[in-house]
Amino acid sequence: MARGDEDAFRQVYDEAAGPVLGTVRRVVRDPAQSEEVMQEVLLEVWRTAARFDPQAGSAAAWIMTMAHRRAVDRVRSEDSAARREQRAAVATIDFDEVTDAVEASLDRERVRHCLAALTELQREAVTLAYYQGYTYREVAGLLGVAVGTVKTRMRDGLIRLRDCLGVE
Amino acid sequence: MRPGEPGPGADPHTLVGAYVLDAVRAADRDRFEEHLAGCETCQAEVRGLRETAARLGAAAAVRPRAELRELTVRAAARIRQLPPVTDDRADERPAGRRPAATAPAGPAGPAAGRAGAGRLSWLRPRGWIAGLAAGVTVLALGAAAAMGVAMHGAEHRLDMAQDRSGAMAKVLAAPDATVLTAQVSSGGSATVVMSHRDGALVFTTAGLPGLDPAHRYELWLMSPSGPVPAGMLPASRHGMSGPMVISGLSAGDKVGLTVEPAAGSPHPTSAPILMLSLS
Repeated sequence: MARGDEDAFRQVYDEAAGPVLGTVRRVVRDPAQSEEVMQEVLLEVWRTAARFDPQAGSAAAWIMTMAHRRAVDRVRSEDSAARREQRAAVATIDFDEVTDAVEASLDRERVRHCLAALTELQREAVTLAYYQGYTYREVAGLLGVAVGTVKTRMRDGLIRLRDCLGVE
Repeated sequence: MRPGEPGPGADPHTLVGAYVLDAVRAADRDRFEEHLAGCETCQAEVRGLRETAARLGAAAAVRPRAELRELTVRAAARIRQLPPVTDDRADERPAGRRPAATAPAGPAGPAAGRAGAGRLSWLRPRGWIAGLAAGVTVLALGAAAAMGVAMHGAEHRLDMAQDRSGAMAKVLAAPDATVLTAQVSSGGSATVVMSHRDGALVFTTAGLPGLDPAHRYELWLMSPSGPVPAGMLPASRHGMSGPMVISGLSAGDKVGLTVEPAAGSPHPTSAPILMLSLS
């Protein structure tokens, strides 16, 4: 790897590793496995960087999509009963673990604010899926509502978040 | 048809939220992607919702163990990178440049200025605080570093934070931004980044002694016509407070800090523990 590449990769790492690890940790829970997934994601970014298409969205969205999907794949390949048991203890969304990044802390506040502006069902549907890795069918079961309702709430909720966050 | 499977008439488009949140099983994912391939509206919606989901992820950021950084870089060195899919321009570019040109490098990186690939796009594509990321010059980065990232503890109400961070970003990005540091006589230090051009400054502190609940630190703009209250220092986190923005400065102004009753005072009621001349 050429020197310049290494430095470029370090820059990417410095920006992406914290958000990637945080996201993966929410879903995977196990710290060691989460670190593995984080490294896998960063290495995948390295490997496929030349194929990143800015037309299809931002680099952040590209990387975070990859991270979240890998995290979800990791937990879904495990025994689901064990996973449910593990989940029961961590039902709350906390924002305690922080990074030093200025942007991260301001973002966190903004996201918290926008999540609070959703209806309860929208918020639960979005966070159970994103932060805990449940499928919409599982979310429907957990919340005791119809599958169709959960799908709708996930979409409405994301749209409302998008508008609140000013995402273009 | 399995239970819960939508009927033949169900619109696959309703899955867009669940799809973006990865809340779908493989079969649903395939079905949706098939639909997506032929639906431009859906592609646009997926794009926007993916950016949104990325923000949920960024908000959960944690700091990785420091060792992981070099471990990951070393591992990358052993992995061959894929060439770009489109190959016309690839031949003109040296292979070594590709990751830098396509990955989210910092503002000084080769990606700066490229739509979608710069630092700008990492957390905040022209969003509510775009200026803080987008407007940073090398100088401002230095200034931000000098602030000790005290901005970290920003725990103001959001609507305030929004205005504030815009103003803050403007000061930090000003071409004439200067950093001033001073000791606070009761302990700790204050750092100011100011722009004469904008007549504004960003104020933070580090290591100020804690106060009893009945008292707080109050910031003043000491103008020739007398002290003007500039706000109460936010509660400190990890020993750092701030940042606060003061605007409307004029020549000869000073910044002062006093200990006041928690509700704040209209005029200083104790001797300043900091008096910083801004010229």
